Amino acid sequence: MANKKNKHSRRQFFSKTVPVAIGTIGGVGLVAQSCQQANNDEEKISLLSADGQLVEVNKSALTKVPYKPVPPDEARKGIPGKHFVMVVDLARCRNARKCVKSCDHHHQLTPDRPFIKVLRMQDNKTSAPYWMPKKCFHCDNPPCVKVCPVGATYKRSDGLVLIDNERCIGCRFCMAACPYSARVFNWGEPKHQDGDRPYSPETSIPSQVGTVEKCDFCPDMLRQNKVPHCITACPNGALYFGDRNADSVTNGSETVRLSTLLKDKAGYRYHEELGTEPNVYYLPPVDRSFPFKEAPEGQPS
Amino acid sequence: MKSLYKHILIIGLVVIIAAGNVFAQKNKKKTTRISVEYVKDHNKTETLVAKLRVKEKRYISLNDAIVKFYSVSDTSVLLDKIRTNKDGEAIFVIGDNPKIFKDSLGFMAFEVEYDGSTSLKGSNKKIAVKQSNLEVSFFQKDTIKFIEVEANEIGGNNQTSPVKGLKVLFYVKGTFSLFNFAKEKTDNKGKIKIEFPVTMPGDTNGELTIVAKVEEDDIYGTVESMGEINWGIPVPLVKEKQRGLGDTDAPLWMVYTLITLLSAVWFHYLYVIFMIIKIKLAKRSF
Amino acid sequence: MIKNENISDEQFNQKVEKDLLAHLTVNQKRNNIFIFLLIAIVLVGMFAYYRQIRYGLIVTSMRDYTSWGVYISNFVFFVAISLVGSLISSMLKLSKATWSTPLTRISEIIAIAAIFCASIIIIVDMGRPDRFLNVVIYGRIQSPILWDVMIISTYLVISILLLYLSLIPDLALCRDKLTGVSGVRKWFYRVFSVNWKGSPEQYKILHSIIAMLSIVVLPIAFAIHTVTSWLFSTTWRPGWDSTNLGPYFVSGALMAGAAVIIVAMYFIRNVYNLKEYLTDKVFDHMGKLLVLLSLIYLYFNINEYLGPAFKMVGVEGEHIIELFVGKYAGMYWAVQILGLILPIVILSFAWGRKPLPMLIISMLALLGAWFKRFLIVIPSLQHPYLPIQDVDESYRHYIPTWEEWAITFASFAACLLIITFLLRVLPAIPIWEMKRGVEPKSQEA
Repeated sequence: MANKKNKHSRRQFFSKTVPVAIGTIGGVGLVAQSCQQANNDEEKISLLSADGQLVEVNKSALTKVPYKPVPPDEARKGIPGKHFVMVVDLARCRNARKCVKSCDHHHQLTPDRPFIKVLRMQDNKTSAPYWMPKKCFHCDNPPCVKVCPVGATYKRSDGLVLIDNERCIGCRFCMAACPYSARVFNWGEPKHQDGDRPYSPETSIPSQVGTVEKCDFCPDMLRQNKVPHCITACPNGALYFGDRNADSVTNGSETVRLSTLLKDKAGYRYHEELGTEPNVYYLPPVDRSFPFKEAPEGQPS
Repeated sequence: MKSLYKHILIIGLVVIIAAGNVFAQKNKKKTTRISVEYVKDHNKTETLVAKLRVKEKRYISLNDAIVKFYSVSDTSVLLDKIRTNKDGEAIFVIGDNPKIFKDSLGFMAFEVEYDGSTSLKGSNKKIAVKQSNLEVSFFQKDTIKFIEVEANEIGGNNQTSPVKGLKVLFYVKGTFSLFNFAKEKTDNKGKIKIEFPVTMPGDTNGELTIVAKVEEDDIYGTVESMGEINWGIPVPLVKEKQRGLGDTDAPLWMVYTLITLLSAVWFHYLYVIFMIIKIKLAKRSF
Repeated sequence: MIKNENISDEQFNQKVEKDLLAHLTVNQKRNNIFIFLLIAIVLVGMFAYYRQIRYGLIVTSMRDYTSWGVYISNFVFFVAISLVGSLISSMLKLSKATWSTPLTRISEIIAIAAIFCASIIIIVDMGRPDRFLNVVIYGRIQSPILWDVMIISTYLVISILLLYLSLIPDLALCRDKLTGVSGVRKWFYRVFSVNWKGSPEQYKILHSIIAMLSIVVLPIAFAIHTVTSWLFSTTWRPGWDSTNLGPYFVSGALMAGAAVIIVAMYFIRNVYNLKEYLTDKVFDHMGKLLVLLSLIYLYFNINEYLGPAFKMVGVEGEHIIELFVGKYAGMYWAVQILGLILPIVILSFAWGRKPLPMLIISMLALLGAWFKRFLIVIPSLQHPYLPIQDVDESYRHYIPTWEEWAITFASFAACLLIITFLLRVLPAIPIWEMKRGVEPKSQEA
C-alpha cells in the first residue's frame, strides 16, 4: 500500500475490518497495513495469531465481513409488531459525548455533521443548566414526512422515520419543517465514506451529496435484535431504548418497564404543544448523577 | 470505540516487535485470565463457556486462541480443544460425553486451560457443578393466573430430587433484553408459585415468553427454562396502508379537490386553444 | 392619451400603428450593449452554478440551520413580481380602467419572464437537480411543494395564453405592415397570427376568450402567491407560523408588481420614445394605485408583527427582537421605511407622481420587496425551537457567497433578457386596443 494512502485510510480500514480487527487482539488491523508483502499477484498479509504463530493470509479473505443491509424498498416496511422508543435520563448525562462518537463512527460521519447533538439547556436564568442529548425524535406525527414532495422521508409501522437518499431531491423542506432541527444536509461531497457498501436507508451509508440525513435509530441493529450504538456507548446508562408495544426499555445493563419509568420519573417530551408526538422521552434532570460542568474549550457549542 | 482502536494499535505494535524478537522475548509476557461458566439453556443443552481475556490496562477479549477442556477426577482427561470466538469465548457442549466423570453426589468437575503463547502467559480455571432441571408451567385458579417453576437436581445415580431455597429470577423476553419482574426462592418441594403480572403486554396475539433463570449458582451454574403463554395484553395490529398527510397516499378529499380545481382551470385552457383554432379557420367576412 | 382629438379615426390609427411598430424595426446599438452586459452577467451566474453542481451546495453560505437562503427569498420575489400580469390585465381590466390598456402587454411579458426565472431559481436551490423528475414519478400531493409546482405551471400557461391572445391582432399587423425584418420573424408573425383578418367573428371570439381568461386568472394569481406563502406557514417555525401569511404575501406581491411596472414603463417610454402613449397621466394613475397597494401591504405588515411583538412568546419573541433591534434591525427598518412608508408618503403628493420621482420610489419599493423576502426567509430559520449549539461557528450566520450573488444577479439579468428579447419582436403596447373605431361589432358586445 502506498505511503500516502496509508495515512488516510486508517479510519476507513478499521471501519471495514472492525469485526476481524477487534476479534484478533494480535493487531491484525495494523499488521495488515504495515507488513504487507509487495510484488505478489495475490496480495498477502502476514498475521500474528494469538498462539504466536506467523501466518500468511490472502488480503481478500481478511477485509470486510460481508454485511447485507436491507434494500431501500424493503426498508420502507417496519419491523412487524414493534414500536420503538427512546428515553433519555437527563439526570445521568454529563456531556461525555460517547454517544456522539459511536454514532459518528458507525454512520461514518465527520464531526462537522453529527446526527446527535448534546445541547446545553437552561430553561430560565435561575434554573440550573443541564445537558440534553438530542437525536431525531421519530415523531408519530412527523412534520418532515408531511412536507416531503417525493416521499423520500417516510414513517414506518415500527415508528421509525427514515430517509431514502436515493430518492431525496435536496429541497430541504423537511429541514425547514422539523421543529427540532434534527436533520443534517450533505452540503458538499461526504468525506470518509465506505462507498462500496450497498446503500440502505437502514444504515444511512453511504451518504450522498445534496441529500438530507439524520439519526435513524440504527434499524440494521434493530433487525438483529440489538439496540442502537449510542445506547451501548453511553457510559452512564442515560439512554434507554426499547419497544413501546412490549412496554420495556433497556439501557444495556438494566431493563425497565417504559410506563413505570415514565410514571416514576415524570417523563416528558420536548414541545408537546407542537403536536408532533415524539418517540423520544426525557426524564427531568433531578437528583443528578453528576454536577453540571461547562463544556471544555474547543468543543463546538 | 476510538480508544479501543488505540489499544489494538498499541497491542498490535507490541506484538509485531515481539514477533521480530522471538529470541530476546521471554520476560515481558502479558497476563491472561480465563473464566468458565456452566450454562444449561432452555433447550436443555449443557455447555461450558470459557471466556479468555488479556490484560491491557483493562481486560480485553482474546479470540482465536485454543482453550483445553478437561474432566477432573483423580486424573484429568482432555475432553476437547476449542478456539475462542470473537468475543473471546470457547464453548464446549457437554452432551452425553462418556469421558466426563460424575461423583457419587452427582458433581461434575471441569478444568479449562489456556497454554499461552510466545507473548501471552497461560491461565486455567476449575469448576464443579451439579446438574439440575428447571421447568416452567402455567395454570389458572379461579380467575388468577399463576406461573409455577419446579427445580430438581440430578444425583449421582441419576435420581432427581427437589432443590430447596434455590434463587430463581423471572423474566419476560423482550426484543433487546430480558425484563425482570420477579425473584423468588424455591420452597421445600423445590417449587415457586407466583402470580402472573396481568398488565404485561404480549405480541399481537397476546403471546409472550416467560424465562425462569437460575443465575451463576455456586452448585448449579446457570440454568434457564422458558415457557410461552398467550396471557399478555394483545398489541393492536397497526394498519399499514393508510391515507393521510404523512402517508404515501394522499387523503381522498385532497385528491378529489385537486383534480376538480386543476381540471376546471385546464379545461378553460383547452377551450381557449380550441377557440384559437376557430379564429384561424374563420372565414373572411368582408 | 393622444391630445389631438380633432383628427379622424383613420389618421389617428395610422399614427398609432406607425408609432408603436417603430421600435420593432429600429436598430438600437444602445440596446445591444445592454444585452451583452446581461449575457455576461448570466454567464458569470452559469459559471457559479457550474461550481455549485460540481462541489455541491457547500459553495453557498447555507448550512444546516439556515437551510434556505437567497435562492428561496429570490424565488419568492420573482413569484411576487409575476403577479403584475394579473394585476394589470385582469384586475384593472375588469374594473374598466382604460388608462391601463397600454400597460397590459408589458405587464404580461414581465409576468412570464418572472415566473420563468422563479422556476429556474427553484431548481438551482435543489441539492439534486438531476432528480427533478422524482417530483413527477414519486410526487406526493400532500406536500405544499407539489401544490407550488402545480400552481406555477398553471399560472405560467395562463400567462402565456393571456399574452398570446392579446397579441394575435398585433402579430397580424406585424405580418402585414413590417418590412425589412428577418425571414424567421416573418415566419413567426405569419404562423402565430393564425390567419387573423380582423373579421367581426374573429373579434368576437377573441374578446370572449380574453374576458374569460381574465376572470380565470384571478383565483390562480391569488393562489400562486398564497401557495408560496404556505411553503412557509405549513412549517413549524417561529415567524412563519402565521395565518396572516397568505394575504400578507399576496398584498406584498401586488405592491411589488405595481412597482416593477412603473420601473419598466419608465425605461420603455424613454428608450422606445413612447411618451405619447405612456403619458404622465398613466404614471399618475399608477402612482395612486401603488399608494393604495402599499397601504394594504402596510396593513398586513402591522398584522404580521404586532401580535407576536406584543406577546413576545419564546423564540418567536427572540425572532422579533432580532428584527426590531438586533442583527437584522438595519435591514428591517430600511425595508419598512424606505420600501413601504416612503412610497406611501411621497406618492400621496401630485409632484411625487411625476415619472422620475416615481422611478426612484418604485426602485426603492422593489429593493425593499427583495430584502423583505430575505427577512422573511432567513431570520426565521435562525430561530429554531431548540438552541443552535454543538455546530461550527459558520452555521450561525448567513452571508451569501459570491456564487449565490452571481446566480441571483444572473436571474435578474435573465429576467431582463427575456423581457428585452420579447420587446424586440413584439409591440410593447397593444396596438389594436389603442386604435379607435375598428371593431364596431365588439363595441356592442
